[in-house]
Amino acid sequence: MVADGASLQRVALALYAVGLLDALYAVAKPRHQLSRLAVYAFVLATGAHFGSLALESWTQGRFAVQTLQQMSSMASFFMAAAFLAAYARFKYTSLAVFAFPPVFVLALAGALGGAAPTVSRPMLQWWISAHAALFLLGYSALFLACVAGLMYLIGERDLKAKRQRPFSSHLPPLGKLDEIGYKALAAAFVLITLGLIAASVGAFTKWDSNWIVDPTIALTFLTWGIAFVIVLGRMAAGWRGRRGAYLAIAGFCCAALTWIVNSGAHTFMGR
Amino acid sequence: MNIQLVGMNHKTAPVEVRERLALSEEGAGELARELTRGDLIDEAMVLSTCNRVEFIASGEPDALRGEFLRRFSGSANGSGPPQGALYNLAERQAVRHVFRVASSLDSMVVGEPQILGQVREAYQRAKEAGALGGPLERLVSHAFRVARRVRNETEIGKMAVSVSHVAVELARKIFGDLGGRAVLLIGAGEMAEAAARHLQAAGASRLWVTNRTAAGAERLASEVAGETVPFERLLEALQSVDIVISSTGSPEFILSRRAAEGVIAARRNRPIFLVDIAVPRDIDPAINEVENVFVYDIDDLQQVAEANMENRRREAELAEKIIDAEVERTFQRIKASRAGPAIESLNERLEAIRQGELERHQAKLRGLSAEQRAVVEQLTRSIINKVAHHPIREAKRSASDPRSRITVEDIRRIFGLD
Repeated sequence: MVADGASLQRVALALYAVGLLDALYAVAKPRHQLSRLAVYAFVLATGAHFGSLALESWTQGRFAVQTLQQMSSMASFFMAAAFLAAYARFKYTSLAVFAFPPVFVLALAGALGGAAPTVSRPMLQWWISAHAALFLLGYSALFLACVAGLMYLIGERDLKAKRQRPFSSHLPPLGKLDEIGYKALAAAFVLITLGLIAASVGAFTKWDSNWIVDPTIALTFLTWGIAFVIVLGRMAAGWRGRRGAYLAIAGFCCAALTWIVNSGAHTFMGR
Repeated sequence: MNIQLVGMNHKTAPVEVRERLALSEEGAGELARELTRGDLIDEAMVLSTCNRVEFIASGEPDALRGEFLRRFSGSANGSGPPQGALYNLAERQAVRHVFRVASSLDSMVVGEPQILGQVREAYQRAKEAGALGGPLERLVSHAFRVARRVRNETEIGKMAVSVSHVAVELARKIFGDLGGRAVLLIGAGEMAEAAARHLQAAGASRLWVTNRTAAGAERLASEVAGETVPFERLLEALQSVDIVISSTGSPEFILSRRAAEGVIAARRNRPIFLVDIAVPRDIDPAINEVENVFVYDIDDLQQVAEANMENRRREAELAEKIIDAEVERTFQRIKASRAGPAIESLNERLEAIRQGELERHQAKLRGLSAEQRAVVEQLTRSIINKVAHHPIREAKRSASDPRSRITVEDIRRIFGLD
């Protein structure tokens, strides 16, 4: 039997669910650490998810980011990959408690959609695919920075309050969370910048400068601006710790808003 | 299995009694060898730490107690152990005790990690001395697995219970790895020195000492292999260190909130951990409100240590349940291992009877055809199988079900298998 994209996606979803259940159990029972089974399931899920996206892109002859469902699926894959990269580097399983639920929800949203409709608009340009992929990667890095920021705030509040709670005892050290947050943010900034460049070059060629007045584009530039300010603030003024965590969360919220508003394709693309 | 354990520990005997039998690691191995020289003790191990002296052996019941008393009486002042100092445990109780000791449930500070290493050392010495090699060796090996299970499945050893360790644990929560971190000691108190040594053991590599009197700073700096910093340059030093332990005798704060804000700005918000173990306090507690500065005074550390100790007590209850289950499993295995040879002996015994009877009636059976002989062979085999069926079933059941009324020993006795 030859696996198709949809079957692989369902396999990935089931495996993500294994990881999610274990992570939720870890929240309910602080003594429980994320099991190896959950990590292996998550690795397999990410592999199956990659397979499903690759097959889908291959069969449709274009990068599978044309519909909201496809973008959800792609975003959840990138977030899962970002989590695995952070896990491979830092080995902190507690990241999973924050990372698995949105990965699962987005993968589920991606799996609920039907087949991608045939788009009459000229969507095959390389720059649109590059723009979408780079932005989704950048948003996934922002998501990781946001997770690290949330964990930092919880850990810092408990340390300041001199309070010992079972959950916070499993959190990574504040210094590591700050490092993860900053590295993820720097990666997000680079990826979003490259995504913007790809989009701007292509859009200028295709629509001259009409697209700049689109409000969703303004929001995209705002997200990029926040990422720029945070990276600059960290490098120049030493913003870190609580301030860095708040900014990372704000950056991700802005990115999530941009994504929701921009989901699918920009309005001007039909012109 | 006949496991016996005789000994005394910090709960039953004061140090002046325990020290009379205290042994070096080599001495413990040598004594284990001596204990097994006679016919009464098959295997032996001697565990001698600052909190306990215990002989563990397999062999004839009560042989070990006599050996222990003989050696105790032969020590420095010659008198026997005081009333109630000695505990003498056998079989299930002894196994349970070994598991509890290895898992640090019987330690003075429950959950401390050193005891497992000490038991390992005693085991190794006894093994090298040739005093192990049977059920006791298997039991002690299993005790290591039980201890590992207790460590993995409970948090008994995860939380620091001394003030110095708490300071190190908190520093780890802030910075992660302490390797390469810089520590500043303000004042030259003993407690600060102890905390500094723990931080050094945890990886902190640069240690600076400052004090109002230069001589005090130099003395402590030489003891902890650190460098001195003039007290007047305290604020400057705070810009480059990560952890500060303050223990001066100053009647007022030596670090104000305003000064700390200046320091953190100069550090470009790099976090700093201030441990104030002075009474009266050296560091304004309001500094804790400054972002990226974490201030803990002696009461804060004490409270964390007490909370951790309480947590260890709760975890110890969970660990006791693991020990109970492991003791039960151990005895199930022992019973199961006894059932196998008993069944084999029973089959051999019945087969010998069958062969013997066929032999005895050889003359009468001579006239039978080959076919008739085969029928006789089958018939006799069938009889012994039917006779053996019920006892074998009971032997197997008694190995796996502790409520079984018939034991393997009963079957051995009934069929004269010994």
